[in-house]
Amino acid sequence: MKPHSIGRLATLFILAVAASILLLSGYLWLEMERVAKKIHLREAQSARAEVVEGLAEMERRGKGMARALALWDETRQQLSASEYYALWRDDRVRDAGIVSDQVEAVGLYDKQGRLLAPPRKDRSMLIHLPSQALRGEAVALLQQENGGSHFSLFLPVHADPGGHILLGYVGVKFDFAGELRRAQAYRYADLAHLRVTLAEGGSVNLERAIDHLRFVVHENPDLDTVDKLFEAALLRLVIVILILLFLAAWLLKHLLVRPLTAFSDEIDALREPGGNLPRKPARASPLAVQELENVRRSFNDYQARISELHNNLEQNSRDFHDQARRDALTGAFNRRAFDEDWKTLGEDRRLGRVALLLFDCDHFKAINDTYGHQIGDQVIQTIAGALHTALRAADRLYRLGGDEFATLLPEADAQRAEAVAERCIEQVMEQDFRQYGMNEPATISIGIALSEGDGAQISSRSPGRPKNDLAPAGGGSGDFPEPGAQLTLHELQKRADLAMYTAKRPGSRKLVFYNEDMGGMAALLGNKEISAVFQAIDNPDLIELHYQSVMRLPMAQKEYVEALTRIRCDGELIGPGAIFPIVQARNLDREFDLAVLRALGRDLAEGRLPAGLGVSVNLSAPSIVNNQVVDALLELIHAHPGRKIVAEITETALITQIEIATSNIHRLRETGCLLALDDFGSGYSSLRYLTSMPVDLVKFDISMVRLLNRGDRRQQLMMEEITRLVLTAGYQMVAEGVDSRELLDQVIRLGFSHAQGFYFDRPQAPG
Amino acid sequence: MRVFLFFILGCVGLAARAEPVELTLPNKLVAKAEYRQGDPNQPAVILLHGFLQTHEFPTIHSLLEGLSGSGRTVLSPSLTLGVTHRKQSLACEAIHSHTLKEDGREIDAWVKWLKARHHGPIVLVSHSFGSVEALAYLSAKPDPAITRFIGVSIVEGRIKLTPEQTRARLAELRHAVKIGQPRVVTQPFSFCQKYQATPAGLLSYLEWTPRRIREASARLPLPHLFIMGGNDDRLGTGWVDRLKAHNRVKIIPGANHFMDGEHEFDLLDSVLDEMKAP
Repeated sequence: MKPHSIGRLATLFILAVAASILLLSGYLWLEMERVAKKIHLREAQSARAEVVEGLAEMERRGKGMARALALWDETRQQLSASEYYALWRDDRVRDAGIVSDQVEAVGLYDKQGRLLAPPRKDRSMLIHLPSQALRGEAVALLQQENGGSHFSLFLPVHADPGGHILLGYVGVKFDFAGELRRAQAYRYADLAHLRVTLAEGGSVNLERAIDHLRFVVHENPDLDTVDKLFEAALLRLVIVILILLFLAAWLLKHLLVRPLTAFSDEIDALREPGGNLPRKPARASPLAVQELENVRRSFNDYQARISELHNNLEQNSRDFHDQARRDALTGAFNRRAFDEDWKTLGEDRRLGRVALLLFDCDHFKAINDTYGHQIGDQVIQTIAGALHTALRAADRLYRLGGDEFATLLPEADAQRAEAVAERCIEQVMEQDFRQYGMNEPATISIGIALSEGDGAQISSRSPGRPKNDLAPAGGGSGDFPEPGAQLTLHELQKRADLAMYTAKRPGSRKLVFYNEDMGGMAALLGNKEISAVFQAIDNPDLIELHYQSVMRLPMAQKEYVEALTRIRCDGELIGPGAIFPIVQARNLDREFDLAVLRALGRDLAEGRLPAGLGVSVNLSAPSIVNNQVVDALLELIHAHPGRKIVAEITETALITQIEIATSNIHRLRETGCLLALDDFGSGYSSLRYLTSMPVDLVKFDISMVRLLNRGDRRQQLMMEEITRLVLTAGYQMVAEGVDSRELLDQVIRLGFSHAQGFYFDRPQAPG
Repeated sequence: MRVFLFFILGCVGLAARAEPVELTLPNKLVAKAEYRQGDPNQPAVILLHGFLQTHEFPTIHSLLEGLSGSGRTVLSPSLTLGVTHRKQSLACEAIHSHTLKEDGREIDAWVKWLKARHHGPIVLVSHSFGSVEALAYLSAKPDPAITRFIGVSIVEGRIKLTPEQTRARLAELRHAVKIGQPRVVTQPFSFCQKYQATPAGLLSYLEWTPRRIREASARLPLPHLFIMGGNDDRLGTGWVDRLKAHNRVKIIPGANHFMDGEHEFDLLDSVLDEMKAP
């Protein structure tokens, strides 16, 4: 059944009650009419009975009068001697007061029933007595004569009290209507218009006279009054009840319907999919109906709880939204927030340019592995705090990955971006990481990319090309839009990535602006290069080792070659400039070094290197502390006895597990393997590690070697002093990047035992 | 003492034989009377009521009771006055057709009726105008059984006319009677302000003027006594004195015309005393 609204039901109820009251009123009115009819009928019966009583009383009175007349001595006198009967009849009787004035006529009859004297015309009596009277009975008659009705009564007159001596008869005659009216008071019968239905000259015994009378019944004033009072009372009652019903309807509407409707509407509003949850109670004022007040309170409490819940949900939603956009560890915004903000930024056409700064913690993987994740997290938190401090309040810091942060600087030019970046580096450098048990400070590298405009200028401040062997393998900057064009986030981020990877390179400045020369490095972030690295790890045959000679000085005799890694993928050769940033970025050092060792083992097994020619292979810091890598190298050494094997340990600054590294180095040296400390002089290799590492060779970084012919005097003197110190410590020295005779002479002069560089040969595939 | 005596006499009277009697007169009218039979050795008494009254009139009735109580045979008739079985006083305004002569005949009929039952002497006692009717009877041809007459409060039958008017009135009445005029006439008479009667009837009463009454009483051949009330205001001035001139008159001091109250006993005593007189 379809439900109906409370308002409609209330209206129907009120109408039903009103209709019931009207029906009841109508029923009462009809009942009253029936009662009135019954009363009228009873009154008619009473009126008839009353008239009958009146007739009886009239007869009784008439008889009394006639009897008095019959017993009067003068009546007997007239019956005895009627000489003066007329005088007696007309005057004496009335003067004596024996009969009342209402008596129309008096007559005396002799024993035979004859009138003693002729009657007067106006007071006529029957000439002859009715036969009943002659039988000695008292006779009462209703007569209709002369257009009027009369009541006549006849009695015998006796001389003696015993009624034995009949003297004659007496008759009296009355005006019937008048006498009947006078007989008694009539409550019901109205005799004012009494009508006798007898024919003229007709007569009837009085006892049957009632059947020949027509009269009306008095209007019952009491009944009429009661009837009017009842009708008025009924009308007033109906009016009062209707007014009360209207009041009840009004009260019902205001006390019940409206609150319920309001509740219903509010609940419906809550049910609406797009409805907003009310922030305040639906009804603050109390309601008059206790139950509704309870409902209101319950509803308000419920609503308050719902609102509170809603607020909590909103807060939670905001928290979730915030958490979804916040990094739990550092409190910085996460990548989702970064993407959204970038999108918002892109939609805001008022922004002309944006600088994207990518921050990356240097060697965070090594820090994590060395000091544990807890320390790593603290380092990240400290760096994040420092960056927050360095950035303006309005600048957002995003944590894009494990140790990678970013910030967007709207409307920032290169100068401002550089200033912010330098402030960040300085702020990080001011942090005390020793509190975490770290021996070395954590540093960050910053890659900066500008959305438009000043790419040339940025390029002019770039730190220069990286190591010669890390030159971009891919073609120019064709993958990137021209400077001044709007960039997508992806493109800008790629540029910042390239700049940041550049900054992370040994010898590079810690903050690097993207320039179009870095376009060649784009491959290292390309899917193809990444795929090639992973494929090479899985299939070392894809690794193609190029070898560069390491010459024994001063004679410049080729003593061994350094295996330099390339990856042949789909016929394209991918160089180290693209490979190692990916390896480092993906923390694939161990896996990739294992693959390189397998590739070297393949080349050696296949005899691609001349017999007896030594070979050096690079091992990253994570690999030197990894037994699997060391075991692989040892296996290689054992597989090729008599061949000189040199393990060049790169990025020694990242070696935190010195004891393990030292142990492994000892294990390798015990097999005759020589150990070289690679990149000495760069940020990753310093004197501190030289003192810790039991190596045989110290391979000066190309940036150090080039100081000999490109540096100033002070740099050259420091270079000389360092070489002297290393020599004094008993190490053999290898110079990288020797690309001229002059430089060769200088390294020979400084006591370098080995040298390599383009002066001797370029890396090349075996055979 | 007298009250006690009257009470005792009354009780004795009640014990006496009391009987309402009727007498059919020669004119076919029936007259009614109260008859109390007493000591046959004592004179019987006929009590005659006043004008238009009946034997139930209080003064008569008291005497009836007293006399019967004293052992006397008492007959107290009601004159018919032309009404058979009359038992009510006849109103002055009634049509009076009776005559004084007819009254005398009814008295005579009752005397004879009593004589048939009582063989001793009879004393006729009458009250008011009944004494005139008794006097008229006794003056005409009284029955020898009547041995004594006691008239109580006898009146002179005044007609409130001057003597000349009276004479003229009588003449008119005589003429009406003479010519047979039947029309009823009206005349103040005695205590009636409007006495309505036939001319003959009225004339029969009016002819008994005070003088004729005095003269007739003076000529009565039997002992008689008039007992009068000392305070009777219905009598004409000097009537008692004039009556005394030729009759024995006993005045009961303080008594009115009807001898009522305690004077009933004085009247009874007077009557009894008179009846004992020789």
